[in-house]
Amino acid sequence: MNSYLSAMHKTVITQGKAWFDFGLKELYRYRELLWILTWRDLKVRYAQTIVGLLWAIINPLFTLLVLTFVFKTVADVDTGGYPHLLFTLSGMAGWTYFSSVVAGAGGSIISAQQMVTKVYFPRLLLPLSKAVGSLVDLAVVLVILTIMLFWYGHLPSTTIVWLPLFIALAILAGVGIGLWISAMSIRFRDFMYVTPLLLRLGMFITPIAYPVSSVGEKWEQWMYLNPMTGIIEGMRWSILGIHPPGNELWITILVVLVIFASGLFVFNRIERKIADII
Amino acid sequence: MSYSIEIEQLCKQFQLGSIGTQNLRHWLQKAMRRAGGLEAAEKELFWALRDVSFNVKQGEVIGLIGRNGAGKSTLLKIISRISEPSSGKITLNGRVSSLLEVGTGFHPELTGRENIFLNGSILGMTRKEIKSKFDEIVDFSGVEQFLDTPVKRYSSGMYVRLAFSVAAHLEPEILLVDEVLAVGDHEFQKKCLGKMGDISSSGRTIIFVSHNMGAVSELCSRAILFEQGKLITDGTVEQTIAHYIEGSGVNTGGDFEPKPNGKAWFTELELLRENKLVHTLDLNHRCTLRMSFEVAEPTEDLDIAIILMKGTQRVFFSIDRDQLAPSLFNLGKHTFEVHVPEMYLTGGDYHFDLYLRRPSDGSHYDAQTQRVHFNVDELSLNTHHKGYAQKRGGITIFPGEWKKMTD
Repeated sequence: MNSYLSAMHKTVITQGKAWFDFGLKELYRYRELLWILTWRDLKVRYAQTIVGLLWAIINPLFTLLVLTFVFKTVADVDTGGYPHLLFTLSGMAGWTYFSSVVAGAGGSIISAQQMVTKVYFPRLLLPLSKAVGSLVDLAVVLVILTIMLFWYGHLPSTTIVWLPLFIALAILAGVGIGLWISAMSIRFRDFMYVTPLLLRLGMFITPIAYPVSSVGEKWEQWMYLNPMTGIIEGMRWSILGIHPPGNELWITILVVLVIFASGLFVFNRIERKIADII
Repeated sequence: MSYSIEIEQLCKQFQLGSIGTQNLRHWLQKAMRRAGGLEAAEKELFWALRDVSFNVKQGEVIGLIGRNGAGKSTLLKIISRISEPSSGKITLNGRVSSLLEVGTGFHPELTGRENIFLNGSILGMTRKEIKSKFDEIVDFSGVEQFLDTPVKRYSSGMYVRLAFSVAAHLEPEILLVDEVLAVGDHEFQKKCLGKMGDISSSGRTIIFVSHNMGAVSELCSRAILFEQGKLITDGTVEQTIAHYIEGSGVNTGGDFEPKPNGKAWFTELELLRENKLVHTLDLNHRCTLRMSFEVAEPTEDLDIAIILMKGTQRVFFSIDRDQLAPSLFNLGKHTFEVHVPEMYLTGGDYHFDLYLRRPSDGSHYDAQTQRVHFNVDELSLNTHHKGYAQKRGGITIFPGEWKKMTD
């Protein structure tokens, strides 16, 4: 019996925890749950719909058409010689992903209330699973984009090797803001209503369908305080090879890291109190 | 001897009122007022657990008992790391699984098969573990025909059986169970009890919270009684249950204030069993409500009305003396008793509301509501009487008068 006991691991529970203790070991131990939660979301999302996964294509296509129409016919922006559809879609790839992570991660704790008050697991898994699941939406947009590229007779630019960097930045930015929103909305439900507002605003102040240079020099540098500006410009550069990033890239990286680290910190502070407050 | 669980001076405090989900505007207003010194930080504290210390040996099966709100569930939540303690320390030697509810995370759109994997991993099993036990789980639940049907089409019984089956196949070193046996039909409950017995005999530590004293005494080797967040008794199951039944006499309504220029008022209300104060009754205990009142002005125009409430709302029954001929109440103290027979009230929380009425116009001399609380439990020290458990249908128990008509 004693050998059985000595093989087991020991847990000590006290009040509070160190600010730098993010429970990474625990997170690793629960890694399977991350996949299962992701899989559940994907499976459930299109259950009982007729066209199922087709919605993942219809949604972005519809937005694409509206945006292209507005920015081509109403305000004819400079697309670096590429068709408007391609230009807009390359910007939408990053934004679609980002907004679905922010919305998903931001509401992940509250929508899992039942679970959170009844069973223990690292709470971080809930927002993280949204970030993983939304990669499917990103992949769908990227596939459409590739098809269109070939349709218009273009090849992806060689700068495509940089795409993973910008995707990684989009993940960090989305999760970071999602963590902030979920931490705040546990105490103040107001933040649940802030999210859609923020995303709608973000869609217009982010250069999705227009190049950042078109806002004029005076505003351009301020645009980079929005991390998605640099990320989307960067993704467009990786895919189409136009508008290469300059030193602003460092601002973007810095802003993303600050958002992610602070989000993680705030979430970590509240994690163990969630069940008492929610 | 090594301990599985060591709990040292554990406290849990809740801040009433100001904690919890708030409206941002409300919070800002309060913060501003506080900054301006207009309002002191309101700190209404509630102790859910106070200075609780005990150790659990490896392989021990412990029952936690006590009335609702005594702190049992809070303790389980802290041990399972859902909620954090305010102070104190718990050391756990081994993997912990908690079953505070069956079917946590079950998704109605997913099939039974999918939910087994989902629920299993939420409870802390690895995919490999679930796969290797899959057949056993399905077998135990008895829903194999519906394995590929979304669980939203399940009957509630099937749902609960599947959920419990997943949980029953956890193999943690420490298992925390909260009242999950109150699910399913009689047959399935028996199966669950058996499964718990198996788990404990394989050397695992179990902490079991229940109101079903039959189950506690059958499974546990030791029981701990909680009252208002404090550990009251820690001993053998028999000792602790006996202590629980005796209670601490909360039903003395001793200090009633005389009504200024009142004509009649209650002075004492007591719930008794065998002349001792009680607040918990078994199904087969009869009890007596004893009420005393002062009359300041002799009158015939007086009646006693008693309403028994179950839970929060429903008038369960009412008793008064209006079928008796009016009699004269003299100056001074009067005492009455009403007997409530055994095997009549089903399990649950009850309280009496009492009125000294003036039948001529229906007004009250005195009203004492929410003064006498008690609950009816199944406390019998065996599961033989399980048929009378809380889940049994019907509003009251009626044993009926049976007579065998053939040989």
